[in-house]
Amino acid sequence: MNWLPTLQRRLSALFHKQKLDARMDDEIRSHIDMQTQENIVAGMKPEEARYAALRQFGWVESLKETCRDQRGVGWIEDFGQDIRYGARMLYKYPGFTAIAILTLALGVGANTAIFSVVDAVLLRPLAYPDSGQLVWLCERGPDWSGGSISYPNFTDWRDQQSVFEKFGVYNGNNFTLTGAGEPIRLAGALMSADVFAALRTQPEIGRVFREDEDNPGAPPVAVISHALWQNRFGGQAGILNQTISLSGKAYTILGVMPAGFEFQNSDVWLPVGPYSAQSSWQKRDNHPGLFGLARLKPGVTLEKARVNLDVIAVRLEQQYPESNKTRGVQIDRLLDIQVGNVRRALWILFGAVSFVLVIACANVANLLLARAAAREKEMAVRGALGAGQWRMTRQLLAESGLLALLGAIVGLLFAKGALHVVAALAGESMPRAAEISLDLRVLLFSGLVAVVTGILFGLAPAWHARRADLQGTLKETARGTTSGRAGLRQGLVIAEVALTFVLLVGAGLLLLSFHRLLQVNPGFVADRVLTFQINFPGGKYQTAEQQILFCQALREKLRALPGVLAASLVSQNTIPLHEGGWDMRFLIEGRPEPPPHLQPSLQFHLIAPDYFRVMGIPLFQGRDFTEQDNREHLRGASSGDEWGAGLNSIIIDEEFAKRYWPNQNPLGQRVRIPWGERAKQPVVTIVGVVGRVKENRLSEQGGMVQAYFPMYQQPLGNMAVVVKTTSEPAAMLTTMRQQVSQLDPALPIFGISTMKEMRDHNVAPDRLNLALLGGFAVLALVLAAVGLYGLLSFTVTQRQREIGVRMALGAQRFEVLNLVVGQGMRLVFIGAFIGLLGSFAFTRVLTSVLFNVKPTDPLTFVTVTLSLCVVALLACYIPARRATKIDPMVALRYE
Amino acid sequence: MMKEIPDLLQGTLDLLILKALQLGPMHGFGISTLIRRMSKDVLQVEQGSLYPALYRLEDRGWIESEWGVSENNRKARFYKLTPAGRKQLVEERSNWDRLSTAVNLVLRTT
Repeated sequence: MNWLPTLQRRLSALFHKQKLDARMDDEIRSHIDMQTQENIVAGMKPEEARYAALRQFGWVESLKETCRDQRGVGWIEDFGQDIRYGARMLYKYPGFTAIAILTLALGVGANTAIFSVVDAVLLRPLAYPDSGQLVWLCERGPDWSGGSISYPNFTDWRDQQSVFEKFGVYNGNNFTLTGAGEPIRLAGALMSADVFAALRTQPEIGRVFREDEDNPGAPPVAVISHALWQNRFGGQAGILNQTISLSGKAYTILGVMPAGFEFQNSDVWLPVGPYSAQSSWQKRDNHPGLFGLARLKPGVTLEKARVNLDVIAVRLEQQYPESNKTRGVQIDRLLDIQVGNVRRALWILFGAVSFVLVIACANVANLLLARAAAREKEMAVRGALGAGQWRMTRQLLAESGLLALLGAIVGLLFAKGALHVVAALAGESMPRAAEISLDLRVLLFSGLVAVVTGILFGLAPAWHARRADLQGTLKETARGTTSGRAGLRQGLVIAEVALTFVLLVGAGLLLLSFHRLLQVNPGFVADRVLTFQINFPGGKYQTAEQQILFCQALREKLRALPGVLAASLVSQNTIPLHEGGWDMRFLIEGRPEPPPHLQPSLQFHLIAPDYFRVMGIPLFQGRDFTEQDNREHLRGASSGDEWGAGLNSIIIDEEFAKRYWPNQNPLGQRVRIPWGERAKQPVVTIVGVVGRVKENRLSEQGGMVQAYFPMYQQPLGNMAVVVKTTSEPAAMLTTMRQQVSQLDPALPIFGISTMKEMRDHNVAPDRLNLALLGGFAVLALVLAAVGLYGLLSFTVTQRQREIGVRMALGAQRFEVLNLVVGQGMRLVFIGAFIGLLGSFAFTRVLTSVLFNVKPTDPLTFVTVTLSLCVVALLACYIPARRATKIDPMVALRYE
Repeated sequence: MMKEIPDLLQGTLDLLILKALQLGPMHGFGISTLIRRMSKDVLQVEQGSLYPALYRLEDRGWIESEWGVSENNRKARFYKLTPAGRKQLVEERSNWDRLSTAVNLVLRTT
């Protein structure tokens, strides 16, 4: 049999059902007419002839049915019938339908939202071709990692390795764009030509730089982003070979990357080669913020690459012990580096939200079971009239499938709303957040969830319908309940309570952890402090003296503003709770000098006077820097142009003092910075001791000692301004901006933020986790309470007669209350106990996202148990109260 | 009235219909009349079996149908064999021959 015409015929049979039925009618009529005619010819009277013809034909409707079945599409028509019937049932009970759909929609919606985040952030490959082969490299030591790569190390790794197709380095940088509208700061990256090659992304127009342009002395060239091209150059086609002015230097534009290309959040990419000639970059112990990006050769595993690079690192250790002792290479997949810090939290949330879905399913299954009890007679009658068991099961599954589908559709709308909330809560703390969307994959996922849930909660009543005993049911009055079904319903409620308990414990732990995180003393006072950043564009501010003059003038101007209590300038990494750090080795004068790899490090900060006043950081000993901590002492010296040569004093944090001068006065002690030639190394005197601040994260503990150096002795191209004001600082931003542009109209300010915002931003991931898990827990609690309530209401209705009899026999109101509440609370206790055991198993996964809280925190467990019981009591009390209102007479007469 | 053969062997009705249509396009009433005449009134095809069989054969692609006008100027649905139907007829016919030979062999054994 040829399947294609068959399929065609069947499809047309399906879609032209009416036409075919009409044809059948016509055909039968024509047959009967002919038969009648023949009967008349045979001698019958016309009426008799027609009657005989009809009789001969038999039962026309049954014949039609048989004919329809011959088309081979009967089962689809049955299915359509099931769906129509299901829809009618749902329409007939709008209350039941609304609750079921709402419950499912909450479950499916929450799952869809979280899945779309998990999918976009964790599951989908990065937006580069064949991105699974991309790896990220940095330096590591015995007890640290994530260190930047020194340029000579990079070239040795590159030239000696055999596992990478392409291997380059990059570093993030800021530039001031001038000559194209208002001056603005641009994020940019210096990078090897090989980084573009490794990423395998082609420019939209023009080309990326070639290897010969990635060398010292090559003419300055740049590749720009699509957004920059559109926003600053009007998207003009003639952009190629034009020049772009970045921090006072002109670069020829070679190409524009396509929209959607993302690397280092940058708008411009410059070849790193021309910078590599600087003497500082040629030092093996200098780590100028470079990180590596490479593409593995086809077939090379991450493990193999690690082994290959480790061998090289060991060789370099032996060759250059001064700089490379204990320094190794770390290689990770690029995706892991980008999303590694949120992976665990996202999987935890995904697990939690699937609990919510299971609870929602259990609730709907319970609703369906309750209704199945009410429909038992209908089912029995249909069975008695000859409906097959499979047919009835199918009917019930069609109904639950329809519910699941509607739930999924409403759930998608919920998910869309929920994603906005997630995006708002996550802020910039979620990597790849821009890629999150409700796309086809997510829709498929929701569809799958809907099908699975539909089967899950539809199966229970369908199974029961199968076992229904026809005769018994038809005879039965409202006397008793089928015990098997009651057991199943109780089991579902117990499961709901247990899962809810686990979620509540998780949420409770996160809440406690978040509370403790907010209680952490960051070491500074965040109130009414504003910060913004400025980069010197080069050109006008070549020498240290010029830069210091500008800084002093700016600080004076800002201090003089009404409403400003204090103002200071600092290096950008000084601002507490920032990303990254600037560490530097140091030696204590008068103590034995350890070999380089054992020398301790400090966190390096540059500050102008008054920084501690602005930040409210306590000064424990000695003094703050003043205007007199300047470069006067260099006058007549020859080494003034060496970086850091101007430094002669240092302020240390309490930890520094405690670690190196326990029970001694650190003031007046001298510290050497082993930077460059020994004769030119800065030696600084400790002039003050201040409180410790949280460098990167509120949750950090331990870490490097902190040190501050005078900015007026060693200025910096990239700095931040901090201002303490008398009132809301954001209101003063405009005035401050004016002060800057009065000094230099070509200086853009950026990175504007209050310290309070910085602190909030710092805990954004924790807040997001708490909000989501907390939301799921509350949702679960409500669903479980509704489930419990529903079960008890149903039992009260079913046991109406029994309760009526008890009351007629003298049972007190309290005893009836006890009866119902007791039945409910028994389930709650069993569920809570299972949940308790489950929590010990599950909450362990939370350890890495908890701060200062053990996953078995007893306070949390007790609080959760109590609150669950209170909510459960309430859910039991309402139906129980109704039970006490039963009028024994009415109950007994019922039926 | 003539006797009805209660249960024609499975597939036999199909064979008879295909055979009848081999003589030319025909409507349902014509097919049943023809079978009756050809079998000398022994085989009476019940309408309740005829139409399901016609629809089944059509579904399998062995016959096709279109509206036409009967000898008495009535609108009627005419069926005719498709090439696949002709092949099927040959096959069913040889099946039938094999079967009837076999049955006869059994019955003649004494």
